[in-house]
Amino acid sequence: MNLIPIVAVELQPIFAWIYRWLEGLGLQGTLLTVVVYAGLGVMVFGVLAVLALFLVWWERKIAGHMQQRFGPMRNGWHGWYQTMMDGLKLLQKEDVLVDTRDKVVFFWAPVICFVAAFLAYVVMPFGDGLIVADLNVGILYIMAVTTFTVISLLMAGWGSNNKYALLGGMRSAAQVVSYEVPMVASILTVILFTGSLSMVDIVESQSGLVFNWFVFRLPFGPVAFMIYITAATAEANRTPFDIPEAEQELVAGFNVEYSGMKFAMFFLAEFVNMFTVSAIAVTLFFGGWQGWEFIPSWIWFLGKTFMVVLLLMLFRWTYPRLRVDQLMEFAWKILIPIAFVNLIVAGWMKYAGWYW
Amino acid sequence: MLSIVKGIVELVRGMTITGKHLGKHAVTLQYPEEKWPMPERSRGIVVLLSDKETGALNCTACMLCMRACPTAAITIDAPRGEDKKRQLKVFQLDVGICCFCGLCEEACNFSAIKLATKYEFSTENKEDLVWDMHKLQEVGRDVPYEARPKKKPAPKPESQSQPPQTVNPVAAPESESSEDEKKEGEA
Amino acid sequence: MSAVRTEEFMVNMGPHHPSTHGVCRLLLTMDGEKVIKIEPYIGYLHRSIEKICENRTYHQCIPILDRFEYVTAMSCNYVFSLAAEKLAQIEVPERAEYLRVIMLELNRIASHLIFFGTTAMDLGALTPFLYALREREYIMDLFEMTCGQRLTYNYIRIGGVSRDIPAEFVPKCREAIKIIDQKVDEYMALLNGNPIWQKRTIGVGYLSPELAVAYGVSGPILRASGVDFDIRRDDPYSIYDRFDFEIPVRPNGDVFDRYMLRLDEIKQSVRIISQALDGLPEGEIKAKVPLKFKPPAGEVYSRIENSRGEMGVYILSDGTEKPVRVKTRGGSYNHLQVLPEFATDILIADLVAIFASFDIIMPEVDR
Repeated sequence: MNLIPIVAVELQPIFAWIYRWLEGLGLQGTLLTVVVYAGLGVMVFGVLAVLALFLVWWERKIAGHMQQRFGPMRNGWHGWYQTMMDGLKLLQKEDVLVDTRDKVVFFWAPVICFVAAFLAYVVMPFGDGLIVADLNVGILYIMAVTTFTVISLLMAGWGSNNKYALLGGMRSAAQVVSYEVPMVASILTVILFTGSLSMVDIVESQSGLVFNWFVFRLPFGPVAFMIYITAATAEANRTPFDIPEAEQELVAGFNVEYSGMKFAMFFLAEFVNMFTVSAIAVTLFFGGWQGWEFIPSWIWFLGKTFMVVLLLMLFRWTYPRLRVDQLMEFAWKILIPIAFVNLIVAGWMKYAGWYW
Repeated sequence: MLSIVKGIVELVRGMTITGKHLGKHAVTLQYPEEKWPMPERSRGIVVLLSDKETGALNCTACMLCMRACPTAAITIDAPRGEDKKRQLKVFQLDVGICCFCGLCEEACNFSAIKLATKYEFSTENKEDLVWDMHKLQEVGRDVPYEARPKKKPAPKPESQSQPPQTVNPVAAPESESSEDEKKEGEA
Repeated sequence: MSAVRTEEFMVNMGPHHPSTHGVCRLLLTMDGEKVIKIEPYIGYLHRSIEKICENRTYHQCIPILDRFEYVTAMSCNYVFSLAAEKLAQIEVPERAEYLRVIMLELNRIASHLIFFGTTAMDLGALTPFLYALREREYIMDLFEMTCGQRLTYNYIRIGGVSRDIPAEFVPKCREAIKIIDQKVDEYMALLNGNPIWQKRTIGVGYLSPELAVAYGVSGPILRASGVDFDIRRDDPYSIYDRFDFEIPVRPNGDVFDRYMLRLDEIKQSVRIISQALDGLPEGEIKAKVPLKFKPPAGEVYSRIENSRGEMGVYILSDGTEKPVRVKTRGGSYNHLQVLPEFATDILIADLVAIFASFDIIMPEVDR
């Protein structure tokens, strides 16, 4: 049982020390594995919680500057711990409950949403060797667990016993299920060339020059990326596809009845989801953690991901929202045909060997 | 297909416009620390003005402002003294009712009431919004104003209520005649 | 499986809803996402402005009427002054007329900018709102510089205007309208070509000219339905007949036309203002109106073209210093009545777009 190779090179001595210390405590076999993985889970959770808080702040700053305002400015330098304060505020707020709610469903919806948002990070390669578990079905696993979110949104919509929330939940179910199809089709285009579902293999197949990044593989690479980023925006419920919580139509959609910490869980999960889809985009299309070696790999990964997040933010603060039927029409009549044509073209080129 | 490409071009165009604004500096201010300079005519809080030399209120309790007020925010109680002159006893302004229209300032012939450029007077109690004359005077101490030329300060129209043909010497041309004023005073 | 059934449900959109612009309540009967019946309920902003005016002198009515339609308070001031002047046969000085036109058109621009921002926001684009308010700020500054307030001006009075413009007004105003003229092009570039925006607006909420006329719809909404009617030209008041401007008319009567027509109107207002600034004469700013203004007994109705359609004031006078009856007419009241007609095959998102394109403002409805 050797767990050490799965962590980054920089961290290996520390992990080796912790491992020896745990062994010294008398832990062995399965128990030891469980403890180590639990520790890794807590680490990933902590990193992501901080990242999500940072993203909320960053989004507000970007939105503010885009609209020629400042955004948060009060807490710390340019309000850098504003979101932590907001989180604290939400923690101590009263949890307003509707009497007519479906108690079980209402309670578990935010929990599932929150947990599902973090599940994808089990196979996310943050850096060279910085991955919790390199599953050989990595990307398939991600596609599976990110879809859990839709269940929680549907539960929230149903459990709130509110018409706006119900409409929001229904919309989110229809939307996420529709956009899953073009998303998978565009991911398949990548997998066709890597020949592996493992995230690490996908990253390593793009090593070398920048032109080895999948997004630069003409002509199908950019098309696949555009389809992916569109579907990912819809997957993360962000404008122009934020119809489940469309503020101007459904007030707040599925989370209209949630308050306090339950709302904060939805809110944080939304930002973790945004980071997830951006991180997948980086892994699949932008070479993951690859870059010049004098900068640590995880900085490359984070930097690239933040660029994709910035793109999503630009989308959000520029575009109007699509209507629900137009959204479906867009998915089924435009995105999916293009995605499949793209897939066929890519497959044919792979077969003919016209690629590098 | 062409429409899709055109759509993407338009989407990118929109994004460049918003993206360009990212680099620009904010046009807003951080309010409590920075403040806009208020224009000189800005109609903020109502204040009572005092004489620059003596420090006494300019108000002569003629009640023109009280009658001009469309929301009845001003309450004046000025019983006539023994010399039949009005003594200003109570001057109350309910800031919560005041609509800052500036009609009182225009009605006043004695430069006694003005809408100053100050605007930060929020309180936690509704009762604190009823301001008496001392507070109004205090707030108005440093408010600059041009005193209207007092041609004949001594013969106030109220003090000479016997001859009804006396015209208010300092009244602006469009202002009310002394006849009306007297009628109101007797009421 | 016969137990599975669907049913219509009712949703209360408002009085507190992000896109009902104030406190309008729409009771929607919905079939899933589809809206099949709309019932507007009004009265949540009723402040009995008309009744208050009956207990005020004519001069005191003006600040009260500022609140009648607060987005274009200058028009409220003006329409009441116009009625009182008609009643008392007052000649308004030349300079005052020019100043009034400048202020009215500036206020029209400000109102249309608000419309642009809120419509974009209701359709999900949040940034244009801030851009529109940024430009509106120039106009607000001009107003504050002139009359001291940014929203409830109390500037246009019976017989003229309350104060002359300060010396720096004219250059600042020229600069402001120049900037706004450029920025309107930027707004158009930001939204007009956007496929999402086009999908959400073009062909949505068609209002036929017949229906519009039948309901007494006026202003930009009427013109967007292809009816060429503008009180500024067809029943001229003030000195609008001296300026060279066009009345934009659009044929399609959908949300996009109503939106584009207002942006066109901003451009025309800019034209009017620059002409008025060029021709601004010197002279008196107010006719001699006694403080105890007593118009002769009689009745009068005056109407103007506001940014939300026809705005009118009816005054019944008995010769005393207080009006016996003041009746106001706001365009939004009629526009809200048309809304139930749209409940055919629209989604709730379309309803939001239509409501936004009508630019309804509730104090005009609940007077």
